[in-house]
Amino acid sequence: MKQELEKLQKDFKKSVDDVKDVLKLDEVYQRFFSRKSGEMTNIMKNLKELTGDARKEIGKLANEVKGELEYIYGKKKESLENQKWEKIAQTEKIDISQPKLPKKRKGHLHPMTIVHNELEDLFTSMGFMVLDGPELESDYYNFEALNIQKTHPARDSQDTFFIKDHPEWVMRTHTSPLQVRAMQKYGAPLRSVVTGRCFRNEATDASHEHTFYQMEGIVVDREISVANLIGTMKELLQGVLKREVEIRLRPGYFPFVEPGFELDMKCLVCEGQGCGACKHSGWVETLPCGLSHPSVIEAGGLDPKEWKGFAFGLGSMRLAMQKYGIEDIRHLHAGNIKFLEQF
Amino acid sequence: MLVSYNWLKYYVDLPDSLTSEELGLKLTMTTVEVEGVEKQGDMLDGVVVGEILEIKKHPDADKLSVAQVDVGEENLRQIVFGQMVDMEVGLKVPVALAPTVLPGGNKIKKSKLRGVESRGMLCLDQEMGLAKEGVSIRFFDKTMKNGTGIVEALGLGDTIFDIDNKSMTHRPDLWGHYGMAREVAAAYNKKLKKYDPPEIGKAKKTEGTTLELSVLVKDKELCPRYMAVAIDGIKVGPSPEWMQKLLLAVGLRPINNIVDITNFILLDLGQPMHAFDKKHLSGDIITVRRAENDEKFITLDEQEHELTSDMLVIADSEKPVALAGVMGGMNSEISDDTTTIIFESANFDATNVRRTATKLGLRTDSSARFEKSLDPNNAELALRRAAELTLEICPDAKVVSNVADEKNFSLNQGPIELSLDFLNKKIGKVIEKKQVIKILEDLGFGVKDKKDILFVTVPTWRATKDISIPEDLVEEVSRVYGYGNIETVLPSFSVTPPERNELRLLERKVKELMSKEYGYTESINYSFVSPDLLNKVGLEINKHIELDNPIAKDRPYLRRTLLPNLFENIEKNTHDRDDLYLFEVGKVFKGEESGERVSNNSDDLLPNQDVEFACVYSSKQDKTPFYEISQSVGDMIRNLGVDVGLEVVGETNESYIHPGRVAYLSVSGVKVGIVAELHPSVQKKFGIDVRVGFAEINLTRLLEYTKERANYIGVPEYPPVLRDIAFVVDSNVMNQDMVKIIKSVDNLINHVELFDVFEGEKLGKDKKSVAYHITYLSKEKTLEAVDVDKIHDEVVKALEKEFKAEVRK
Repeated sequence: MKQELEKLQKDFKKSVDDVKDVLKLDEVYQRFFSRKSGEMTNIMKNLKELTGDARKEIGKLANEVKGELEYIYGKKKESLENQKWEKIAQTEKIDISQPKLPKKRKGHLHPMTIVHNELEDLFTSMGFMVLDGPELESDYYNFEALNIQKTHPARDSQDTFFIKDHPEWVMRTHTSPLQVRAMQKYGAPLRSVVTGRCFRNEATDASHEHTFYQMEGIVVDREISVANLIGTMKELLQGVLKREVEIRLRPGYFPFVEPGFELDMKCLVCEGQGCGACKHSGWVETLPCGLSHPSVIEAGGLDPKEWKGFAFGLGSMRLAMQKYGIEDIRHLHAGNIKFLEQF
Repeated sequence: MLVSYNWLKYYVDLPDSLTSEELGLKLTMTTVEVEGVEKQGDMLDGVVVGEILEIKKHPDADKLSVAQVDVGEENLRQIVFGQMVDMEVGLKVPVALAPTVLPGGNKIKKSKLRGVESRGMLCLDQEMGLAKEGVSIRFFDKTMKNGTGIVEALGLGDTIFDIDNKSMTHRPDLWGHYGMAREVAAAYNKKLKKYDPPEIGKAKKTEGTTLELSVLVKDKELCPRYMAVAIDGIKVGPSPEWMQKLLLAVGLRPINNIVDITNFILLDLGQPMHAFDKKHLSGDIITVRRAENDEKFITLDEQEHELTSDMLVIADSEKPVALAGVMGGMNSEISDDTTTIIFESANFDATNVRRTATKLGLRTDSSARFEKSLDPNNAELALRRAAELTLEICPDAKVVSNVADEKNFSLNQGPIELSLDFLNKKIGKVIEKKQVIKILEDLGFGVKDKKDILFVTVPTWRATKDISIPEDLVEEVSRVYGYGNIETVLPSFSVTPPERNELRLLERKVKELMSKEYGYTESINYSFVSPDLLNKVGLEINKHIELDNPIAKDRPYLRRTLLPNLFENIEKNTHDRDDLYLFEVGKVFKGEESGERVSNNSDDLLPNQDVEFACVYSSKQDKTPFYEISQSVGDMIRNLGVDVGLEVVGETNESYIHPGRVAYLSVSGVKVGIVAELHPSVQKKFGIDVRVGFAEINLTRLLEYTKERANYIGVPEYPPVLRDIAFVVDSNVMNQDMVKIIKSVDNLINHVELFDVFEGEKLGKDKKSVAYHITYLSKEKTLEAVDVDKIHDEVVKALEKEFKAEVRK
């Protein structure tokens, strides 16, 4: 029986070597391992007739041979199967530069929406509440509550859109009315930003629009200092621009803050050396800000002795234009698909 | 405003080592924005004094002449010139020698003008950058040597700072050099020369009073102070060279000694003055009164104005002689034969001057200053200085009248209590008391030191509107201390997450879904619409809120819906694209519905300004764009967690809506929006060739119905059985009704979905064939074919009964 096994082992190996495809291989396999009459199967069946040590010895050997043959078969089968993929690089080649057909339609967000989303996300992550309010505002919130006196030039009609038959209504000229509305609604401490549409009565050209967008922030807390304002502004700008910035404050006048500042940022184009982008000064006027005027805190229903605040504004439309290099402000409201689908 | 360095130096001693750039930066950082620093004579090296020795007509050009000019060179230069200024032989003028480059980059080259060679240019002030506007030229005295460099000839050597006027609208004291010098002195810790001209009565050459001047101020509110004095023995002529030089340096053309004195004081102290020729005034009473309506008045610039009763004039016994605070009149102008003058130095109400100037389109150096709320005390200083200068410049001049002074003003000079603790906390840094006091005193404040509280008196020139509360003083101290010297400190904030703005989040989700999921592009349009557009769409104009002062007359109304602008967007783009998918999210304005409060202590409400969403779609391939819109918008709303359905609209009032293709979007019976097609007649009016579908949703209202996704309902354990059914019904039978009936047949019917619809002649008139996938599913067992067959037969029966459906087998 031992010889039988050895012969069978040799036969199997030779037959497997000669085989060229999976079909033939399986025929060979059947010949040896078919349940009914496979040569190996028969040997295994005959093992029963042996006894004692012989049965043990031959049985062990038979199992070893069986295992080996099964392994050889498996290897051969794997190599034959892999052969058929060899030419796949040619036979199944496609043009990878071709788009999926039919083309999937794509929509686009307006650049102002993209910029506002980014700003709102940043400020939300810093704990600011996102607000918006009426675009048609009352004279009270747009001017009076912000310490802008009745005689202030901003209240002349060449700067502000008024509403017919409603002298106490205006189209808001800035997002600042929300400073007071927010304090009245949410009290203090408060951190909020507003992004929204504003209106100024001025003729439209490549760099002026009667309809524009601002982002405004206000922080109210028990102790707020100029030093806090500078620190926060620096962090914010670095968040917006995603890089280190250097800033400086200089005096600026806005009725609803005292002291008021113009915040300049060291020019990112020339790094302060002076270039066309910063009018050769090395600094770019970036945003107006200041400590909240006590009368504004008071209008917000808070005690200015107890609560202090600071506010800042950002022309988000200019930011969008800078971000995308839009040269003419009029594109933004033109509803031209050739412009809109670029974002 | 232009500020001369030399002029500042007259009041403050500044070290020679201080560069003009440094001073400019200092001013920017502590006081006002300096937009530019320009050294006079920069780029004028190529310009010299030249004498015109001969002038001939240009042979080929009527408007050109040819001059031979002696510029101190061996040979004469031939120069072609135009007609800007009359030239004659013997005049000495500035000549740019080719080749050179003038300020502003204008290159002067040797060239031929219509065939005649020209080797330079005769220069106007404007071409040399010495004046910004107008046409003016300097002539030199015969004694000036030909070829003298222009920088030397004109004594240029000053540096000019260009200050952004917008950065000092709140600072009336900065509109003259003296105020600016005060800031410079404080910033550099230097002494400021006193502004203290002698009192007029005590001046020499005052020979008693021969003239009794009296002033009658009829509107004291609009004129808090009016001072006047008469001076005789005037000889009108050019003003002294030092004065001309300063005026020219800051861009003012010298006129004559008297006018120059008033202009000089305007730029020196920031106080506008006026000089009248006494002989043209009738009577000795000067009246300050409101103008009559329609009163006519010709100003110095020879323009006639029609006045109204809200304007203030200065009048003699017969007529107005000046428009208060704005401009004098032609009728009393100083001329060469003037011998007696009356100086006016007054204070007028800021707002009134501004409104008058704006109304008449006559903004002057004078009105620009008065509208900042000037210190009435300066009127007196200015008058004293004017008298001093006049007596100095005209040797025969003498004061011949009393000094009239009508005043009615009071200033709130405080004192303001400034606690040092408050100051330091506001700044975020401790500044020494000594330094605080020094800064305030340098700026002219009076300081009484009482332990930790300073009692600060506001100087008159800052007391008109500028400074009134401790916060104002915080700014004064910190800006001079230097914002750059304050170290930054991050505030300590609580870590509570911010309250969510649900409406804004909804707006954002809608925008994201529409653009990313459904392929629509966002457009943003103006809030203003034109009557033409409203008419086109057929919207009632008188329902719209109207602007009182629209930019152009073309868009005076506030939009009540986003749709008209979007229709216009389609029309604009329809020639560039076969398919257009657009949407907008924005506020609309409805006067008949109420919105937010006008103020927290008023019951008056603003108009409603809900946020709306609208979208439009058109395609050259799609004759029924309704379906695309209803599908995308319906899915979008369902994505927001709102179970929305379409509801039949009985009748629509809006003529722009296609009456056969319109449905409400409704949530449990409440209408939240509309889906429809544009009426073909309106579509034609817009000039659009294809059908337009649209939808409109009020997001403020939809917000109530949105919710986070509902609970899931479990993964089915047993396999579903699918059956299709196709049948023919009348065309007007609605999909939603058929789905409802099919679903109602048995609980095992889990899902019904339409997958095919067609109409055709074969089916007969007004018939359509429809086909549905029906999914049967049990929660308890695997369904057998027999179970399903039974229910399916009942579905067929129900359809036959309800809709007379002919089931196709």
